[in-house]
Amino acid sequence: MLTLENVHTFYGKSHILHGVSVEVGPGEVVGLLGRNGVGKSTTLKTIMGLVRPSQGRVVFEGRDIGGWAPHRLAHLGIAYVPEDRRIFRLLTVYENLRTGLDRGGITEQRKTELLEKVYENFPVLRERRNQAGGTLSGGEQQMLAIARAMMLEPKIILLDEPTEGLMPRMVTQIRHIVDVLHREGVAILLVEQNVPMTLEVSRRVYIMEKGQVRHHAPAEALREDQTMIHQYLGV
Amino acid sequence: MVIPWELLVIQLLNGVIIGMILALVASGLTLIFGIMDVVNFAHGELYMLGAYMGTTVMLTTGNFWLALGGSALTIAALGAVVQVTALRPLLGRDPLTTILATFGISLVLQNYALWQYGPVARKIDEPFTGQFALFHLQFPWYRVVIALLSAAIILALWLFMKYGKYGIWIRATTQDRVMAAAMGIPVPLVYTMVFAIGSAMAAASGVLYAPLVGINHAMGLDVILRAFIVVVVGGMGNLAGSVLAAIFISLLEALASLWVSPAQAVIVSFIVLILTLLIRPTGLFVPTPK
Repeated sequence: MLTLENVHTFYGKSHILHGVSVEVGPGEVVGLLGRNGVGKSTTLKTIMGLVRPSQGRVVFEGRDIGGWAPHRLAHLGIAYVPEDRRIFRLLTVYENLRTGLDRGGITEQRKTELLEKVYENFPVLRERRNQAGGTLSGGEQQMLAIARAMMLEPKIILLDEPTEGLMPRMVTQIRHIVDVLHREGVAILLVEQNVPMTLEVSRRVYIMEKGQVRHHAPAEALREDQTMIHQYLGV
Repeated sequence: MVIPWELLVIQLLNGVIIGMILALVASGLTLIFGIMDVVNFAHGELYMLGAYMGTTVMLTTGNFWLALGGSALTIAALGAVVQVTALRPLLGRDPLTTILATFGISLVLQNYALWQYGPVARKIDEPFTGQFALFHLQFPWYRVVIALLSAAIILALWLFMKYGKYGIWIRATTQDRVMAAAMGIPVPLVYTMVFAIGSAMAAASGVLYAPLVGINHAMGLDVILRAFIVVVVGGMGNLAGSVLAAIFISLLEALASLWVSPAQAVIVSFIVLILTLLIRPTGLFVPTPK
């Protein structure tokens, strides 16, 4: 469904991605592991059109989407949950969700259903729906960021370190929502530092180093034999 | 010198009325700045062209309210064209380039008005000439209507920003352009829309104010200066702040003109501006930053 072929990306003059190739099938959860600064986040940003690849192809459902504007990609069914969450801080929780709901071709009934589903999975967001996004705790903001992405009814969600800096109880909740999304057939490209969780929820895992994919294996294989994890992640 | 209290009341009323018109011009300006980071030097010319467009519609239809609506719509369309052709290509560049661009546009629009409408001042007749007795003075109802209409337009803008789908798009874009785009909000369209709305508000104030002051191609210069003062004093990009600042400054000027000539009273607004920049450069009417 989503394929990156030999993608190169630059920030100004620094070469960040050196020919990354990654593939995500429909409804598949794929993990992207690696140390800090190896280009995991940049890979997601490149898919979302926030940085332009200088070389290589990004293909989504048969279409080359390299260089497309982010809002068109969102309409195609790609949702993005950035590392720093990027909640609209002055908008209320409900208004944050509405940014993804007010789009063409969606009925009022469907909007209500989507909101209900999110409030069911994250009851705290229902309680806080009239509170400004900036007043939420870190974990609540992470839930809102994921919930906001779900409003787009995406085919794939790009999740950038969703459990970073969260307490264990919140991690469990994020873990739960990944399962919910997976059950509903939403594909997920998950960037994480949390190795055990990534190996648990993903079907396949890519390990990146210095802007390249160095290893690619089924998560199960990596769970059983952790040599590669030790070699590239040092854990 | 003792000022008779009737005169004080009349001046207070005048201050509020002028203040509301100024608030209407300044809201458009502060909206465009707050959302697009564009200091729109052509805003006064959109106000001026709005007034001229009002005379054109007035000549053909004879209806003031059609002139008001027609002019606002036409200038909104003009604003959209200006944004797409002159400002969109500058997105993400040094803000200085947009200042130069809007300044250039203001010169073009001014000379267009001179060429199209000529150097002779024009006037729009008041839609009604009723007056009411205010102490020894006959006070025109139309002035009160101007203030109420300006307030209504600003209130409508506020409601639109608070509850409307596009209002939420605009606020989301202001806070985080990149994330707004990632949520499927067509950011370039939002910018064009904001510029069009700001232009329409400038045009509406031009038509509303024209019966009191007359229309000429340079009328934008006078108003833009005052609008900029209001926007800075109110806090750049802050809608409520601009409204309060507009009324505050107009009241001060109206009261000052009890003692000095109106031309000298203008100095008051500059004093307020300088004091604001010295003491509270983020604006008088914004909450203290934490």
